[in-house]
Amino acid sequence: MPYTPELKELIKAVERTRPERVERKRRGEEIPFLSLDERKERLKFHPDFKEEGRRPLQVGPSKGYAIAHEIADLLEAGSRVDPDRIDLSAPAYTTDVLVIGGGGAGTSAAILAAERGANVILATKLRHGDANTMMAEGGIQAATKGHKDSPYFHYLDVMGGGHFTNVPELVETLVTQAPDAIRWLEHQGVNFTKQADGTLETIHGGGTSRKRMHYAADITGAEIMRTIRDEARNHADRISVLEFSPAVELVLDESGHCAGAVLYNMETEEYFVIRAKAVIMATGGCGRLHIQGFMTTNHYGATADGIVLGYRAGVPVAFLHTVQYHPTGIVFPEQAEGILITEKFRGAGANLVNVEGNQFVNEREPRDVEAASIIKECVHEGKGVPTPTGRLGIWLDSPMIEQLAGEGTVKREFPGKYILYKRFDIDISKEPMLIYPTLHYQNGGLEFRPSGETCVPGLFIAGEVAGGIHGANRLMGNSLLDIIVFGRIAGTSAADYLAAGVSEGKLSLDHVRAYNAEVDAAGVSDGRVAPAIIPNYTDPAVRERQLTAHYVGNVR
Amino acid sequence: MTIGYYPGCTLKTKAANLEVAALAALDHLGIEVAELPRWNCCGAVFSLATDDLIHQVAPVRNLIRAAEQGCDTVVTICSQCYNTLARANRLVREDAEKRDTLNRFMTEEPDYAGEVEVVHYLSLLRDRVGWERLRAAVTNPLTGLRVAPFYGCTLVRPGDVAIDAVDPAILEGFIAALGAEPVSFTAARECCGSYQMIAHPEEGLRRAAKVIAAANASAADALILSCPLCEYNLGTRQGDVVAAHDGLEHVPTFYFTQLLGVALGLDPELCRLDLSGPAATTLLTERKYIAAATA
Amino acid sequence: MDTAALTEKVAAKAVPIYIMGKRYEVPEALTIMKAMEYAGYQYIRGCGCRGGVCGACATVYRKAGDYKIYTGLACQTVVEPDMYLAQIPFYPANRATYDFESAEPTPETVFKLYPELFRCVACNACTKVCPMDVEVLDYVSALKRGDLKAAAEISFDCIQCGLCASRCMGEMAQYHIAQLARRLAGGKLAAKAEHLGKMCADIEGGAFADLLGGLKSMSVDELKKVYTEREMEPHMGADEWTPASSHGLA
Ligand SMILES: Cc1cc2nc3c(=O)[nH]c(=O)nc-3n(C[C@H](O)[C@H](O)[C@H](O)COP(=O)(O)OP(=O)(O)OC[C@H]3O[C@@H](n4cnc5c(N)ncnc54)[C@H](O)[C@@H]3O)c2cc1C
Ligand code: FES
Repeated sequence: MPYTPELKELIKAVERTRPERVERKRRGEEIPFLSLDERKERLKFHPDFKEEGRRPLQVGPSKGYAIAHEIADLLEAGSRVDPDRIDLSAPAYTTDVLVIGGGGAGTSAAILAAERGANVILATKLRHGDANTMMAEGGIQAATKGHKDSPYFHYLDVMGGGHFTNVPELVETLVTQAPDAIRWLEHQGVNFTKQADGTLETIHGGGTSRKRMHYAADITGAEIMRTIRDEARNHADRISVLEFSPAVELVLDESGHCAGAVLYNMETEEYFVIRAKAVIMATGGCGRLHIQGFMTTNHYGATADGIVLGYRAGVPVAFLHTVQYHPTGIVFPEQAEGILITEKFRGAGANLVNVEGNQFVNEREPRDVEAASIIKECVHEGKGVPTPTGRLGIWLDSPMIEQLAGEGTVKREFPGKYILYKRFDIDISKEPMLIYPTLHYQNGGLEFRPSGETCVPGLFIAGEVAGGIHGANRLMGNSLLDIIVFGRIAGTSAADYLAAGVSEGKLSLDHVRAYNAEVDAAGVSDGRVAPAIIPNYTDPAVRERQLTAHYVGNVR
Repeated sequence: MTIGYYPGCTLKTKAANLEVAALAALDHLGIEVAELPRWNCCGAVFSLATDDLIHQVAPVRNLIRAAEQGCDTVVTICSQCYNTLARANRLVREDAEKRDTLNRFMTEEPDYAGEVEVVHYLSLLRDRVGWERLRAAVTNPLTGLRVAPFYGCTLVRPGDVAIDAVDPAILEGFIAALGAEPVSFTAARECCGSYQMIAHPEEGLRRAAKVIAAANASAADALILSCPLCEYNLGTRQGDVVAAHDGLEHVPTFYFTQLLGVALGLDPELCRLDLSGPAATTLLTERKYIAAATA
Repeated sequence: MDTAALTEKVAAKAVPIYIMGKRYEVPEALTIMKAMEYAGYQYIRGCGCRGGVCGACATVYRKAGDYKIYTGLACQTVVEPDMYLAQIPFYPANRATYDFESAEPTPETVFKLYPELFRCVACNACTKVCPMDVEVLDYVSALKRGDLKAAAEISFDCIQCGLCASRCMGEMAQYHIAQLARRLAGGKLAAKAEHLGKMCADIEGGAFADLLGGLKSMSVDELKKVYTEREMEPHMGADEWTPASSHGLA
């Protein structure tokens, strides 16, 4: 729906201050960046710092570690299926490598493993490519311009963004492999935005000291995802894809090595076993858990399943106490709630302004600082813009871009968002967007090493499901990067692991039994089961009338 | 008045030797045409083979594109495209019922009733430049070259789109204007056989052989064509044709636009002789119409 | 916010929609996706990103008294009263497997893998049905004339939902052919980034090993100092900008 008359009235304040703000931008005058101390103060307004938002885990390898209730609820839950009812003696499939998750990390891992001669099954919850990777818009970081940038500066930016808590070895791997990851993507045919001579266009992102954000118009993730998916399909002789088949449990062998998984055919509602010599976990993030009730940018399947499976198999979690809220998610019109408005709008010059039409924060602070500032402005300063349904938002002044870079720029540079708003009769080249922080990224996850290995032999990890690379806060553009860098590493490491010879022991779900017993003993599960698989969006009133429907968790 | 130029797919892929010199020649002769910014396949692949109305959609859509650009005339070089577009245009003009159906089908486009004139490049030369002016513009006359004019099917059939309806010797007039000698040639309006190559390859070759034999009989030095399919069967496949039939002699083939370029003294590179068989270049260099080094 | 909470606010204004012919009353401001969930459907297929980029939720609908076929993404399209809708979560399509490494970026590569390209009669049903407003016929036309770059550009916003293939009279799967064109254009026709190759070579040659080793061994306080003092590339400046000090560069 278009802006209501009330909102149109409020937009006038933005229009009034716009000429002056445009002038300031042209002169290069910015609101000063916060010092490290000021950042710390500001972050007190961030949802991560709400004590009532989290609790210490009562079970598992990271017992005592306090994380969001919504994730703790899943880790302190029983398994979806009784392990005793699963017949491990007759796997439905046997393969070398089982990749769990068909996003960017899983797909690049599958390609690399296949190229090294492994037979791969890629099992994914929805369709291959229905993933957060597909949704990334803004770009992918890498220091590729030696005249001004290097892995040294990239390393500093990643560490600073993560508040210096990141695992240094992981960061080192990330930044030194970054240019090669871009080269691989370019070679695979990703259409990065380029100059005619091949020079890659790069821009700034929040927290970058150098312009190193590479992009493919405003659908960088989709362009990467569809390209590498196409390449995976070309390896049909080695990579088979099982769609609508989420993993619900890892399978170990008697010596504790990871040896496959139990999967669920969401259409026929059967559970089945895949036996594999190595498993790569690449299930992505957790936005659909709606932590602290926040709306989310994430795809339908982002429910932290991989964390649950890995944790039950003995892998500790790290940095899960922090969750990333993207500063700018659509808050009006409500039909589009939570959808991400890329940082590139701010990169292109759009200001964030409050209900009075005034700026209150530099637009290129790291994400957590930016989000905390918006929440503070709305909730604590009382300068948010009220929506018709009683929520609060901040204006993102996109029409400024037209004045700074010429008429038609918004439509040309942001075709996706331009069309999206057009459907609601809002022309974002003329009217600002109303935004609020939205649940975006799972900063932490399962602990792993730069080689992709975990403490469970045979279990490798890549992508958003992993924790440590980004410390307590990820910078824009480093996630698309990490899924390609660590996806390729995981594929290679798994293939190397096979090559070294894997003894195939008897399959076992004893770790699940033990975990269930621990959950029972702690008395914390309250009958909950995990993983969640999909969120529950059915109208509760309808659910109540589904008298003979049988729900296990969210799935009927 | 603006003239839109409809190139057609083949000229953008295999038959650059039909297009490049032709456009350079128009430029040289001071005739302005502009390639349509949006166009699709002319529809030839299907429209000749069936009378299904859906196959008129492609050519008519191209004519709508031309009208959209404010063109009252659209020119084509490929005789296949010419034939398809001209026939579709005639259908739209003459059959009100079918016109109405086509317009209803293409609701996303403005209605079209045949406002645009479809002309072939040769007609454009004759009517807008004239053989006299063309002769005067020729700086490198192809004196002594005996050229057999091959019309094939698509320039002359069916009769109501034939480019030789008013002037039964349009290609001959063209050849003479270049300073060459048009030879009388019994197979000028025969089928080249290319349409038969897939279903009846024997028959396809036989027809091609008939054309080559006629060219031999009239002692032609060269055969000129206006259609990429004719070029395929009579040019690219000529080796096979000659090999399969006793007593045939090889005769170099050209697109008519290549000889036009040579006679106007355009840069020989523009004539893309590299895309025609080596015999074409050899002939022109031996007769000194072009210098050996540039070939 | 979940559908239930949304509903509360707008419950007063309900509109009838027909999901596969069956009537449901749903709140008027919902997207088709949320309306189906409101009605009691739980998505397995037909829902992926919920953000308009994955192509899982292609939906076809008609309006009462109107012969036209309308299409939209369920996650992006707001319901209208009396719409008759069905989702097309899957449509079979021919995709050619090929070896990208050895594929030449030429028209012939495309023609060989997808000869059905030439069955296009320019009926334009593909363009009309595309929920992303991609000019499908234009890129198919570009492909037929061998212009891979144009096809790559025109098809760039394609989300591969498959609606074009479902309507094609020539029975082709346009979006797979476009994917091939984009890869050939991006990977083999576009100029390669020279600076990228150079940086990769520097890294392989170990140019930054010591610098990174130094950073890794710093205390957090030292690291914070280096971080705070690092020079910032100006926001509106040109690409050629160089920092005042060359420390940290190759
Ligand atoms: C809207 C949006 C914009 C973003 N923009 C950027 C950006 O500009 N730059 C950047 O660097 N990062 C960005 N990100 C972050 C980045 O896209 C993701 O973090 C990254 O793509 C994650 O990749 P992945 O492969 O780890 O996970 P995903 O791409 O999410 O893939 C995980 C896959 O696993 C499947 N799966 C889940 N559970 C199971 C199970 N139990 N069994 C089997 N399969 C399962 C999922 O369905 C999915 O297919 C953005 C994220 C979002 C949501
Ligand atoms: S769910 Fe992905 S496009 Fe609608």
